[in-house]
Amino acid sequence: MSEQVDDATLVERFPWVQITHDSKYLYRGWLDKKLLINRCDDCSTFHHPPKPVCPDCWSTKLTPTEVSGGGIVFLAMHLHQGAPAPEVDYAKGPHPVVAVELEGLGGVRFSSTVVDCPVEDVVIGLPVELAWIERYGAPFPVFRKRTGGGE
Amino acid sequence: MARRNPIRDEIAIVGLGSTEFSRDAGGRSAASLAAEACINAIQDAGIDKSEIDGIVGALEPGAPRPNQMSSILGLSDITHHSSPMPVAVFGLVDAMAAIFSGQCDTVLLYFAFTRLPWNSRSAAKDAFRNYNTMGGGTKAPPVPEAIDPSAAYTAWAQRYIYEYKVPREDFGRVALNMRANAARNPKAAMKAPLTMEGYLSARMIRDPLCMLDMDIPVDGADAFILTTTEKAKKMTPHPVVVHAATAGMVGRNDEDQLPDLTRHGQHIVVEALKERSDVWIDEIDVFFPYDGFSIITLGWIENVGYAKPGQAGRFMQEHWDEDLGCVMINGKVPMNPHGGSLSEGASRGTGHLREAVTQLRGDAKERQVHDAKTALIGCGGFFFNSQGAILKRL
Repeated sequence: MSEQVDDATLVERFPWVQITHDSKYLYRGWLDKKLLINRCDDCSTFHHPPKPVCPDCWSTKLTPTEVSGGGIVFLAMHLHQGAPAPEVDYAKGPHPVVAVELEGLGGVRFSSTVVDCPVEDVVIGLPVELAWIERYGAPFPVFRKRTGGGE
Repeated sequence: MARRNPIRDEIAIVGLGSTEFSRDAGGRSAASLAAEACINAIQDAGIDKSEIDGIVGALEPGAPRPNQMSSILGLSDITHHSSPMPVAVFGLVDAMAAIFSGQCDTVLLYFAFTRLPWNSRSAAKDAFRNYNTMGGGTKAPPVPEAIDPSAAYTAWAQRYIYEYKVPREDFGRVALNMRANAARNPKAAMKAPLTMEGYLSARMIRDPLCMLDMDIPVDGADAFILTTTEKAKKMTPHPVVVHAATAGMVGRNDEDQLPDLTRHGQHIVVEALKERSDVWIDEIDVFFPYDGFSIITLGWIENVGYAKPGQAGRFMQEHWDEDLGCVMINGKVPMNPHGGSLSEGASRGTGHLREAVTQLRGDAKERQVHDAKTALIGCGGFFFNSQGAILKRL
């Protein structure tokens, strides 16, 4: 279980992320293939990226809460060039990047890519669900086109 | 929101200095470019360097810090120095506030730009530029999925297209306007004529934005001398003063969490400027909407009130001067007559500020707007660097 992964090891597992004491829970969750979004214990509001206090009520009682990761693509772009990543080959075609409005979280979005989907289908409004790939040897949350009949 | 504006018309811009802006300044350091601009500005103001008691230099990657610049120029004793974030108006408001509050009397404000190793092949070959990174401070390399301040404009451009069902030509008009204007600016980096066909076939970078939607990295520098209007009046009968200036952002300004296109930093800037200004777009002679990315320009055109949301493209079309190949609002108000960041070069708004002062001084030669008295600058973008200023000639 990733609960046992100490801070130094967590940093080693995600050398491409600048992890802080506010965001460490998010990345510990990734190691367990869980998407954890901060939820305020006092006012129940979700926020992302992880912050030290609830932006709505300033409570410090925040619980990284596992969410389904399903939602609707709100922002979308197709990178013809960009930062390198092991499984991204811009020569083979544009790499889609999206911000997904996660369902039931009051407008909170999570940004990643969409896999197993023709890039031209990755457009605003696309229903997606959470999936996981490996990035530099650690789990990385992505989206894929939603297949089932929804929730 | 502050409705007070005690600083109105109290601070003047009395000196301008620039380098040329080029894709490659050759073997010159950012400090060398900054020094050239600063010396030009001090000489343009007609003051002795010993009169400068404040120095403000933007935190651009590779740019000299104010203490270094002070040493390079051999300045006298300084009682205000600071390094605001990049984008022109942050430095402007800092310098204004320092003078108005009595921290100092005369400020040298400078900005130096050098192409970074990752945005230019020739810059990558320069062994002395390799330490320059944007932002700095983090060893974490970027990943494709980061909707960072730069990529975010593409993501929101797609959202704009989605919501308002507009064609790419609307973005293209921004690029065409800047290029046509740059042809009349000897300092500009990109002067080759551009057609809509050329725009539409340009290399796609982050779909829907192509390379011509993104400002052009350059080597160059701009510098300004600011002082009290009282002092400025002893130097020139009609100094250019800052009528109002502000920065603005909304609370939830994370690039991918911004609620929507109808309320972001630009809206706060517009509301604040309107509160603090005696004039608005009906009285503006020259308009300077920022164009680090074309989508930002569409935003400014709409948010200052020239056009309704989603109609900036149509507005530019309706106010297009076919002979000049650029926008002339109501046949008389140009938009970034110097060519903007897209074609003069990516000076993060300092070109806009410099050209505004140049126009109000009547020194813009073939670009000169007849009897220009008032300029509106909408600087920066949507998230954390929206800002604006209204300049006037007294």
